[in-house]
Amino acid sequence: MHTLKENYQLVLAFATVLAMPLFMQSGLLAAEVLIFAMAVLGCNLLLGFTGLLSFGQGIFFGMGSYALGIMLVKLNMPLILVLPLTILVGVVSAVFVGWFSIRQRSVYFVLLTLAFAQMFYFLAYTMTDLTGGDNGLLGVPRPPLSVFGIELLPLESSWQFYSFVATCFLLVFWFLQRITTSVFGRTLLAIRDNEIRAGAVGYDVRGFKLAVFAISGGVTALAGGLLAMMAGIAPLSSIEYHTSEMILVMTIIGGTSNLFASLLGAGFYVLSADWLSSIWPRWLLLLGVLLMLISLYMQQGLWGVLEKLWHAVHRRRRREPAISATESEQQS
Amino acid sequence: MNGTTGPILRAKGVIKRFGKFAAVQGVDLSVAPNTIHSVIGPNGAGKTTLFHTLTGTLAASAGTIEFDGIDVTRLADHQRVRKGIARSFQVTSLFPTLSVRENLRLAAQGTHRMRLSDSWLPPTGSRSCEEVVSGILERLDLVRTAEIPAGTLSHGQQRRLEVGMALAARPKAIFLDEPTSGMGVDDIDAMKSLIHGLRRDHTVVLIEHNMGIVMDISDTVTVMQLGQVLVEGPPEMIRNDERVRAAYLGNMITGGAA
Repeated sequence: MHTLKENYQLVLAFATVLAMPLFMQSGLLAAEVLIFAMAVLGCNLLLGFTGLLSFGQGIFFGMGSYALGIMLVKLNMPLILVLPLTILVGVVSAVFVGWFSIRQRSVYFVLLTLAFAQMFYFLAYTMTDLTGGDNGLLGVPRPPLSVFGIELLPLESSWQFYSFVATCFLLVFWFLQRITTSVFGRTLLAIRDNEIRAGAVGYDVRGFKLAVFAISGGVTALAGGLLAMMAGIAPLSSIEYHTSEMILVMTIIGGTSNLFASLLGAGFYVLSADWLSSIWPRWLLLLGVLLMLISLYMQQGLWGVLEKLWHAVHRRRRREPAISATESEQQS
Repeated sequence: MNGTTGPILRAKGVIKRFGKFAAVQGVDLSVAPNTIHSVIGPNGAGKTTLFHTLTGTLAASAGTIEFDGIDVTRLADHQRVRKGIARSFQVTSLFPTLSVRENLRLAAQGTHRMRLSDSWLPPTGSRSCEEVVSGILERLDLVRTAEIPAGTLSHGQQRRLEVGMALAARPKAIFLDEPTSGMGVDDIDAMKSLIHGLRRDHTVVLIEHNMGIVMDISDTVTVMQLGQVLVEGPPEMIRNDERVRAAYLGNMITGGAA
């Protein structure tokens, strides 16, 4: 019971991953939800757990797309090697961007991440030999996942690919849950709350920020790589500023107080985009309205709304005398 | 290692400039171990800025700071805590959304030697610093509020926790910047005896406006004015010093109510 309470987010994530094939027709759309949820997790780790508003997430996402694309298309490397290397490319680019950006706080930090996003975009745009420039890097394959020639999982059909993405997603989720509840993660919360005090009690704030940036970059790059596999192309748009913005918007819609909120945010965004864009091409207008509502009235995002509902129901149940004695402990 | 007779803190010619303005203009300060050393002076005398440079919150523009036989002038704040310098802030500086216990745990953890591989584990068992934390909770009379967010404590409780954050580092010297600021009368007495009790295990460097406290518990008082040291000596001497009276326009120094 105790472990269930501690791991309820992972349980929720696992349940969602299992439930999606039951309710959705398109395996690729379901995979897209999880891919973006992974990128949103990376963003949430910065924004929700460390208090860093980064407009540079698209850099790592795009770098992941290109790195995976180049390794598969041009170097013909096996997927089992390509995945960790894609993460490594994300980590390295995040350490590079972070090294400069975290020297500043608040507005200047945000501006630096924004400037780097522009820089990486134009780099990708001009290095056409590697990236395909405007056209993107075409023909990214979906080879089977195999170790020493033994095929573990073919990825051709969309649901096969979904199960592969789902495994990656759950591993990342589990990893981040460990991180956020660890000594390291709790220190991130302290830095989010009060940087000056965190330094004064003995924490190397810059070191912690750089480490969390690296983790976020690795996770985001993996997401970018998976999207390239899904779409069969590493498009220029994956490294565009717009991707950074989209990841941030999903993070804020879901809520930044816990990890499962990230899956909510990404799911809501990807699914409503899919649904609304087919009936009304100007659907982004509605998204603007929703963002305003969240900024004004529900800053805990969709997760906050669910939490409030849950507490309301719970309180009503608690008023019924039969249950109140046994369940009063769970209320915290 | 430095012997018990020499000063634990020795600052020489400390200068802090902000652009062209020098808030601290060449201060020498020597603090003897296991004493309470107060720094007083009118508003704008540079007391807090001096504190910032001594504890590493701000880097000194010039001068040297030696602590416990080590030159700490170039060390950042988080490195100086590990050498045994902890501080409280004039404006309460806590982790407001985290529980009181977690605040103290984090403060204790900051100076706690831990293997890097352990930081991947949750803060339980030996990593919870439970002994230090519960000791401080009791000492500060915060046991009953241990599980609530620090931001929801009353002002007096927050000021006590502020001191507790410095204590949790188990420092050799503890720097308290106006620990009683904004406190009610009852809280002030409790704080006074708390600070007095610190002297047994720590060296205390104190900025305080409440002359009752300063005159009653200090071993040495340094008076600052316009970024420089005006006078230094035991409380009785400071009380009767003409220059100090002039700096304070005569009325505040006689003690009792602030």
